[in-house]
Amino acid sequence: MGKWLDERLALSRLYKKFFRKMFPVHHSFFLGEITLFSFVILVLTGVFLSINFEPSIRMVQVGTKQLPAAYASVQFIDTLPFGQVIRSMHHWAANVFIAGAFLHLLRILLTGAYKKPREINWLIGFALLVFAVVAAFTGYSLPFDAFSATATKVGYEIAASIPLIGSWLAQLFFGGTFPTEHSLPRMTALHMIWIPLIIAMLIGAHVLIMFLQKHTQPKYAEKVAPGKILGVPFWPQQALIMGVLFAVFVAVLAVVAGVFNANPIEHFGPPGPGTPNVKPEWYFLWLFGFLKMIPSSWHFKVIGIYFGTEFIGILIPVLLILFGFVYPLLQPSKQKLRYIELPSEHPVRTATVIGLLGFFIAATIAAYKNGLGLSTGFLWVLVIGGPIVVGFVAYAVLRAIYPKGRGERGEIGSGADPSPGD
Amino acid sequence: MANDDDRKAAPSQGPGEQTPDTDLDAEERERVIQRRRFLQAGIGVTVALTVTGLSALSVTGSLRPIAKVTPEQEPPEDGDQLVFASAQSKLVTPADIKVDQEQTLAYPKNPKTGVVKSGTDNNLILLSRFQPSRLGPDTAPHAADGIVAYSGVCTHLCCTVSDWDKQNGWLLCPCHHSQFDPRQDGKVVAGPAPRPLPMLPLRIDGGQLAVAGAFMTTVGCS
Repeated sequence: MGKWLDERLALSRLYKKFFRKMFPVHHSFFLGEITLFSFVILVLTGVFLSINFEPSIRMVQVGTKQLPAAYASVQFIDTLPFGQVIRSMHHWAANVFIAGAFLHLLRILLTGAYKKPREINWLIGFALLVFAVVAAFTGYSLPFDAFSATATKVGYEIAASIPLIGSWLAQLFFGGTFPTEHSLPRMTALHMIWIPLIIAMLIGAHVLIMFLQKHTQPKYAEKVAPGKILGVPFWPQQALIMGVLFAVFVAVLAVVAGVFNANPIEHFGPPGPGTPNVKPEWYFLWLFGFLKMIPSSWHFKVIGIYFGTEFIGILIPVLLILFGFVYPLLQPSKQKLRYIELPSEHPVRTATVIGLLGFFIAATIAAYKNGLGLSTGFLWVLVIGGPIVVGFVAYAVLRAIYPKGRGERGEIGSGADPSPGD
Repeated sequence: MANDDDRKAAPSQGPGEQTPDTDLDAEERERVIQRRRFLQAGIGVTVALTVTGLSALSVTGSLRPIAKVTPEQEPPEDGDQLVFASAQSKLVTPADIKVDQEQTLAYPKNPKTGVVKSGTDNNLILLSRFQPSRLGPDTAPHAADGIVAYSGVCTHLCCTVSDWDKQNGWLLCPCHHSQFDPRQDGKVVAGPAPRPLPMLPLRIDGGQLAVAGAFMTTVGCS
């Protein structure tokens, strides 16, 4: 059987090329795998949810109540065996997907792994994070309880606030002024077909390129076996580790999902005339915080085009995303990077990343403006001043712990960019 | 086919007397033919692209659904009655709205057809009541017995302004905490909202609360 297949599909060549790929041994290299696992869980639980879900806001009679069909179908899912746990798992896996992708990105950023020749994979990975968030957002609207309707409505209005094309674009994606009878079918198609398809294709390209280019090597590999690739082969060792990790991941996720039931729709009930007092998911909190901080006077007209206060809410992430996309291209290098660059050896870059994290945290604190009783002026100081202070403190601490010139900076044969500050 | 013949014809005139001239002619003719072919191809491609583009455009355009205004979505107008948003069969009477209390959510109702205009969030109305002496000079003329009405749609991101700041007597949007003063034309007193809440003039019509005209500014978020 093996021989028969091999003669036709040249499996042994595939084996030599891919199955013997060396995986570096370091825990930080598992972040991407966790992200991949959560995508697998999302697809599997998503299949179950999709075949029971009804994408419609038309009212149906359930017992004595009139409920939107989507809401009623989610209630039905919750009554199925393990239905509520599977729905909760889908929700938790989405959180891990975004968190994992973000931490994976931080690892790449802190170790300089985005540098030549891996710029393309940085771009694909960055696009994956963006699509992960878009997938989460389109999933938001589907249960159509008061929470999801409010959150999606805000998303619609933010999109509609883009000057000139916003209203048209928002109506195209949300099927008219959200919510209309076209909205849920459209969000469903995006959430269940097109965005997952794009994500799956991008993951395929991401992994294939990673196989072709090889991982960056951990720093210790340079000392242990200079010039050689160190690690465990994909088959069978790494595959076994991944299998065990996957099993543990599913187990932990199932327990967490069972104990902490995510998004119980009865809590907010079906959408009514009022707005429930809600906060978005943690990955949107920093944007939410910004929307609260922007003063009402910040709207203006330039040559007849209106720029509203809400527009700034999308301007900030768009600028950050654009910067993220061009970042590796701003650092041209002749050599190819083989070994990771230690964060301690690049204090400027490390301090900048820490400052950026400080920015996200400060903007997230702004989301709790009213609960904490913070003034808008204080928050502006915190969001702009905080990251700068944190960045400089981080730089000073790094410099104090790792003074310049102490130990080899890994230039010998590492192919790394020798300049410390980039 | 004709072109091929021409090309063959040119060199076959053979070596001899007027070779340079005929060669030039042949080259010139070839160039004209090529130019003509290029032009024809160009026109063909342009026409094809235009047709495809226009069809694609109409398909893309249709992705934005056509908005239909049903009787339930028509804006409030003079003479409309008001019903509770939570119990749409019940008319709001002036006695239902208590002084300095949390706002009441209502929808307009066309008294002739009996249609409750709850088909769009833009028709959501906030009712609150104050001592008439505490109303601002621009608010008082549109109030009925101290009762004022505003659009329920926050001018920031279109959430419903359904919360109430008891301490100040302000209308409060739960989404991003914009606050509006219902005694002063619904002006923004805190938060990110760019415009005041649109006011809806009211009157008392035979002991009943009635709408006295359309919203005074555009409803919605911009």
